[in-house]
Amino acid sequence: MQEETATDGIVTLSEVKRTYYLGEPVHALDEVSLSLPEGSFTAVMGPSGSGKSTLMNMVGCLDTPDDGTVTVNGQDVGALSDGKRARLRGSELGFIFQQFNLLPRLTAAENVTLPMVFQNVVGESRRDRAKTLLTRVGLGDRLDHTPPELSGGQRQRVAIARALVNEPSVILADEPTGNLDTETGSEIMELFAELHDDGSTILMVTHERHIAEHADRIIHLVDGQIEEIEHVTENPPVQGSETA
Amino acid sequence: MKIAESFRISWRSITGHKLRSSLTAIGVIIGIAAVIVFMVLGGAFEANIVQDFEEDQGDPGMWVNTQNTNQGFEIVPSPIYTETDIQTLESIDGVEFVAPEANLQASQLSFGDTLQTGGFGVQAVDVEQYSEEDMVKGEMYSSGNEAVLTQAMVDTLGGAVGPGDDVTINFEGGVSEEYVVTGIVEEGFGSGPDAAVFVSLVDHYNTTVETPRGTQEQAYSSLIISAEDASAVDSIKQEATEYFETDSDAKELKQEEQDIAVQTVDDAIDQITAVIDQLTVFIGGIAGISLVVGSIGIANIMIVSVTERTREIGVMKAVGARKRDIIQLFLVESTILGAVGAVLGVVLGLGLGFLAVTFIGWPMAYPVNWILIAVAVGLTVGILSGIYPAWRAAKVNPIEALRHE
Ligand SMILES: Nc1ncnc2c1ncn2[C@@H]1O[C@H](COP(=O)(O)OP(=O)(O)O)[C@@H](O)[C@H]1O
Ligand SMILES: [Mg+2]
Repeated sequence: MQEETATDGIVTLSEVKRTYYLGEPVHALDEVSLSLPEGSFTAVMGPSGSGKSTLMNMVGCLDTPDDGTVTVNGQDVGALSDGKRARLRGSELGFIFQQFNLLPRLTAAENVTLPMVFQNVVGESRRDRAKTLLTRVGLGDRLDHTPPELSGGQRQRVAIARALVNEPSVILADEPTGNLDTETGSEIMELFAELHDDGSTILMVTHERHIAEHADRIIHLVDGQIEEIEHVTENPPVQGSETA
Repeated sequence: MKIAESFRISWRSITGHKLRSSLTAIGVIIGIAAVIVFMVLGGAFEANIVQDFEEDQGDPGMWVNTQNTNQGFEIVPSPIYTETDIQTLESIDGVEFVAPEANLQASQLSFGDTLQTGGFGVQAVDVEQYSEEDMVKGEMYSSGNEAVLTQAMVDTLGGAVGPGDDVTINFEGGVSEEYVVTGIVEEGFGSGPDAAVFVSLVDHYNTTVETPRGTQEQAYSSLIISAEDASAVDSIKQEATEYFETDSDAKELKQEEQDIAVQTVDDAIDQITAVIDQLTVFIGGIAGISLVVGSIGIANIMIVSVTERTREIGVMKAVGARKRDIIQLFLVESTILGAVGAVLGVVLGLGLGFLAVTFIGWPMAYPVNWILIAVAVGLTVGILSGIYPAWRAAKVNPIEALRHE
């Protein structure tokens, strides 16, 4: 299963190793090879400590491999300088976290356009962009609200809008529904399905099977290795499935 | 990242923690305010003295006296200025008159039953030295048993003395003489205390010395040179100084370690203001040390803030912030704190200074240079105290930062 071709795809990992030394060496990722084709929706499952977050950090250019290579949009992430990697993160990747991770003192619109600030995009176009995206995630009337004034589900929607703002090549989501109740979680998954339909490339970590089934395929990680890549044949109907 | 953007974000973070930001800025506010208060006080004190001098100045001119070398302002009362010196000085272009000053040693003054012991001066003054404007009431003395008083002297004697009254002066050595008061002269006339009696020079002064030419001449311990108008003062001073350096009697008569000083009012003001300036800067400098405390305060709060915002820093890095962006954000934040602290400190300092100065009765002074320096120092303090916290923030590992709550 690990012999999947690592050449094409918007993100490729080839024989990526990441080892932590805390007395015993811990192989957080052990020769993982993987490719994310454009427009694909991939879920990652696995027990706690199996390397899911480490994999996300690799793809997200927050971490670099001890061995092997990671490419994003053709660029070898490990060869980039710190500053260049930061720029790449801002332009090619959109992060969605379990804890939402919005800046509490910025408004929804300002949070959405924060990644543009670090790409030196200026001007009134920013606010238009925020309005478009927030409208798309159903928060067109909440532009000037700050995160403490929003519910969990609304915050995650703002985070999704923020992840989309620089038109990234890949959207990374680490347990995006982990902090939400079932109903709100399925609303968020609805949004993911929409993004997928619109052609976004998504990599999502989850430990819930029914969440993972929204993806095209599910990667099962165990002890830093890909144990199985499962292709999902039938996605669950998103609308009303949880409330029924 | 654009500087304006970091201003916006940093400002949000400052106003988002109002209490904490205010407490941080207070350190700088107090330091700057303390410096400004002292500068206002110093400037006001100086302005007050200059004002006094200019009010008292009367006729344009200068005075000549003898000082011990290396002892600053200490005036030596030795009679070295001869009649020949006076005549030579009077021949300088633009000189109106040259008048000797002679202090008489008096111990007591009485008017009827009122006795005044000490606290006043008696000067023998050449009639020539007076002008019409100097007289407040009555007229000048014209003989040896007549005298004029300052208003302060009149007040000291109970306020009832006026032209025509008799006063008695007891001189040291037991001689006592009676004088008829002919007039009241403006306060600040002459060079002695405010409460003063003036009597005729020719009748009360007879110290003679042997001149370098072997003759006996009357000699005085200080002179007043009056100029015809203010524009002549500088050239007279130059010529007089030259004369005292070359062929004056005073040059020959003075001791080796004595200097002859020709001082205009401006010179005196310059000397005094120089001393006040030094003192002000010294005290202001000590007040400035409190800025170090303010600086440490900012640094301390910024470090706390970095720790508190570790997660936010992680988020910003995840969405594309580079190290320099993070450094910029924190530096801008500390600079804003320093600058706001400095501006508020200046305002507070001027306010307190104004209150103090008004209370004392001095004219208000605006130490413009120091205000600019204070603001510059506030900015510098802000930047310097932000460097270490900003560096710490830039070093935050986003993976760690995003992992723990
Ligand atoms: N910074 C670290 N230092 C030491 N060990 C780590 C560190 N980060 C992760 N690990 C270890 O690497 C393994 C994989 O971790 P992680 O990718 O977080 O797993 P998951 O997200 O699947 O729970 C775990 O055994 C974890 O203890
Ligand atoms: Mg994890």
